[in-house]
Amino acid sequence: MSKFFQKNNPKRQRFVPEDKPDKSLLKGRAMADTAPPDPEEIKKRLLENLQQAIKLEHSTIPPYLCALYSIKDGTNEFAVNTIRSIVVEEMLHMVMAANILNAIGGKPAINTKDFIPGYPTKLPMIDESFIVNLEKFSKASVDIFLQIEKSAEHPEHDGDDYHSIGEFYMAVRRDLIKLNELTNGEIFKGERQPQVTSEQYYGSGGKLIAVYKLEDALEAIDEIVGQGEGIDNTIDDPDQEMFGEDIEYAHYFRFNEIYHGQKYKPTDSVHDDPSGPPVNVDWDAVYNMQLNPKMSDLPEGSPVWQKMYDFNKTYMALLNNIHDACNGQPSLLITGVGLMYDLKYKAIELMKTPFGEEGLMAGPSFEYVQ
Amino acid sequence: MKCDEYDVVIVGSGIAGSVMAKTLTRAGKKVLLLEAGLQAGIAMDKEGAYQNYQFYLDTYYKAAAKVPNSPYPNLPDAPSPDVLDIAPIPNSCSPSTKGYLVQAGPIPFASDCYRGPGGTTLHWLGSTPRMLPNDFQMQTKYGVAVDWPFTYYDLMPYYEMAENEIGIAGDVKEQIGPDVEPVKNYGKDYVFPMQKIPQSYLDQTIIEITNGKTVTVELNKKEYTISYVATPQGRNSIPEPAYKYAGVAWNKKTQKLELEKTDAEYDPVGSLWDPYTGQRCEGNSSCVPICPVQAKYNALKTLRTADHDNLDIITQAVASQVLYDKGSMDITGIEYKKYRYGNSPIYEKGIAKGKIYVLAASAIENAKLLLASGIANSSDQVGRNLMDHMVMLTWGLLPKKGFPYRGPGSTTNIPTFRDGDFRKEHAAWISPIDNWGWAWPTFAPGSDVSNAVGQGMFGKQLRDHLSDIIPRQLLLHFECEQLPEPGNRVTIDPRYKDQLGNYRPVIHYNASEYMQRSFEAAKKVSDQLYKAYNVQDFTSYSAQNPDHVQYKGKVYNFAGAGHIVGTHRMGSDSNSSVVNPDQRTWDHGNLYLVGCGNMPTLGTSNPTLTMTALTYKAAEAILKQLEN
Repeated sequence: MSKFFQKNNPKRQRFVPEDKPDKSLLKGRAMADTAPPDPEEIKKRLLENLQQAIKLEHSTIPPYLCALYSIKDGTNEFAVNTIRSIVVEEMLHMVMAANILNAIGGKPAINTKDFIPGYPTKLPMIDESFIVNLEKFSKASVDIFLQIEKSAEHPEHDGDDYHSIGEFYMAVRRDLIKLNELTNGEIFKGERQPQVTSEQYYGSGGKLIAVYKLEDALEAIDEIVGQGEGIDNTIDDPDQEMFGEDIEYAHYFRFNEIYHGQKYKPTDSVHDDPSGPPVNVDWDAVYNMQLNPKMSDLPEGSPVWQKMYDFNKTYMALLNNIHDACNGQPSLLITGVGLMYDLKYKAIELMKTPFGEEGLMAGPSFEYVQ
Repeated sequence: MKCDEYDVVIVGSGIAGSVMAKTLTRAGKKVLLLEAGLQAGIAMDKEGAYQNYQFYLDTYYKAAAKVPNSPYPNLPDAPSPDVLDIAPIPNSCSPSTKGYLVQAGPIPFASDCYRGPGGTTLHWLGSTPRMLPNDFQMQTKYGVAVDWPFTYYDLMPYYEMAENEIGIAGDVKEQIGPDVEPVKNYGKDYVFPMQKIPQSYLDQTIIEITNGKTVTVELNKKEYTISYVATPQGRNSIPEPAYKYAGVAWNKKTQKLELEKTDAEYDPVGSLWDPYTGQRCEGNSSCVPICPVQAKYNALKTLRTADHDNLDIITQAVASQVLYDKGSMDITGIEYKKYRYGNSPIYEKGIAKGKIYVLAASAIENAKLLLASGIANSSDQVGRNLMDHMVMLTWGLLPKKGFPYRGPGSTTNIPTFRDGDFRKEHAAWISPIDNWGWAWPTFAPGSDVSNAVGQGMFGKQLRDHLSDIIPRQLLLHFECEQLPEPGNRVTIDPRYKDQLGNYRPVIHYNASEYMQRSFEAAKKVSDQLYKAYNVQDFTSYSAQNPDHVQYKGKVYNFAGAGHIVGTHRMGSDSNSSVVNPDQRTWDHGNLYLVGCGNMPTLGTSNPTLTMTALTYKAAEAILKQLEN
């Protein structure tokens, strides 16, 4: 049969092994070994961590969008398609994290002032030394993206902190399993109404998973981690082709193809750089966007300030829309599509507007506005 | 693959050819597909498909007149008809030869189609109402035209296959009108694969414009109540959870094509370059000529899912002659000319050989190829009975802003005159509400700007004027069903050939009194509608327009619908038809014709859905013939 339309390679998912030690339970919170775990405490931690997960997934979107929108129309098709598909998946992850939070009786908060990171920033919850900027598409910015999406292969380390997104989700996963056990499954309310489903969300790799029970929640987490980091390094099956035209592989590897200007070939190993056919990456066909622009850099009321303000108003409208959709009105998400287009047009307008120094252009600042 | 002899040779990769190729290859048959258009257009890999489609889009954005074929290459080696070539015909001895079609008249044929990979589905609108049961019995019910050799109900299972393959969005429960009821026409509990595309703001404005008061019109002393139906269409929407069919498969045991059941939810088919682009219609509003995200179905989506291990495709290969054995009358090969690049007169000849041959090259090209080969014509019906919907347009300004261009090209139709006793006297019609302002008849909004500037407007006054009139523009279609007439026909003439030496089609075309009466009737209905809607009528018809008729002292203009039908009609006897109910030619045991050319009558439906259903029926007959 035709190999076309093989949408998902099941191997792309990184199923977190059950026997890995869980730092969140071992360190600092290691009450588990000595005293019976307190379900109230786990639930409190989960509600917090899932809200943080939504924030974390969202925090990658503005940097990816800046890179995407800085690429000049009609150029860098490969990079544009790659980044676009990854952004759509990050939005999917954000909504799935909200679904899990809703499933255990939480209330996602997506439109609050502290929801948006102030760039430059570290990623929420992830204690790594790299700083994420709002900046144009460049080899340096793609290098940061690689660090964001990098695999969970880290040496054992001390402390409560998480060194990768995967590590953070592993802790959430453990807590969900534990709490489900302690409450005999009661923690999952099984309510249909607040769940965003594939009816409202589409256009990305992997289906949106509605969460009614533990298995759904775990599948959603595996999907999030799998799409980001991809194949677990502990799985090393030399007979399995990990790459190819119709195999979807994780964000890390897709960014790596842009970084190297070369695609993976089916026989490449996940440990090596891509060695397949070259792809055209034109690092110069890019608007020269100011690094981390801010409205406060500009005289209030000036034309560029106004454009930036308009952009942020659209961005807030979109966050409000997603907030309402994830708080009981899922069908609102369908109307958010128009806002997403609007956001793009306004961002590109900024990229074409000179800003301060000779040769620099303005850009979207992704700031909270009333 | 590359064999010397294939099971089946297909000419053309439009929807008929692609459905045929997919169905046969998935049933394990070896297929060779000949396509006249460029190699780039058939790219099935993501990058190639993306690059090629971006090229179409760029061409469209830069085109001055955004006509249906504007995004696509028009090749001297395989030219396409183009509506921009329509010109007055001085007299029948000096046809208009401006474009590819040689228009012998007396009036020019007004439709185009696209010759290239994917065929006309690249620029189709995507409306997919089914035909009505009465459409299949025009002679029996109304004493005009001919009956089909089978009934609507015989075709029903194949309609379901076509609706699965195209991926129809719509609500069966809303399909109500003359001769249409959900259970009667669609069967109990039948649903479309996807939920209906929301009706546009403009449509809602019109539906609500009389504040809930029913609109009635009078025609031939009879009163009709106007109703509105959400048009089923081939563009992606929210999957319908109750839809449980996966796809069409050949059942060797029963010797039938069957829709396979599944528990999985229907998955909208995205673009060729990215399955996640185009999973929903985004309302880009440029459906004709091109959907930028491929949320609208095109035949390349079908061809892509053929079994490519059983399929060879030769592009840039224009079929020029069908060869046959004078004793057995069996087809022995199809001669084609393979050109090097799009405007090169240099070509190499080849002969494609198979057990069975299928022509799927469009109604005009199929007829032309048969005539050029001197085959399948013992009935003298090849090329005859050329039909189209003759579209009378009326346009006016709404009393309030309806904001056309929000959403796809058309989401609602008025079915009121699709069927009735009046069909004895004049044509039936369907009236889609058009979502593109006055673009079709007046080239709005560009012409609105130049007119206003011509009147001395500029600045704020100009902006105010445009934002007052453009959002209020209303355009209604009256798509009148043309009946089969022997004189409306495709012929060939050695004086008219293209640069590869292939015949150009010579078209003879006219509007009979049956059609003229329907223009008069439709205009009466339009006048009453505009009065009820409080719409200011700006319709104006001109004898300067090459496509005009005069009836009872009044001039009417019509446009083509792009529904080119009827040039090799199907029938129940070999004296009066070209193909039998299996769509096999009466004259040649191994030659099938597919496409709109088979349709004995047109009805008031956009023909693609019905033609696709017929193609499944033909594919089933071919599989049976190959296995027995």
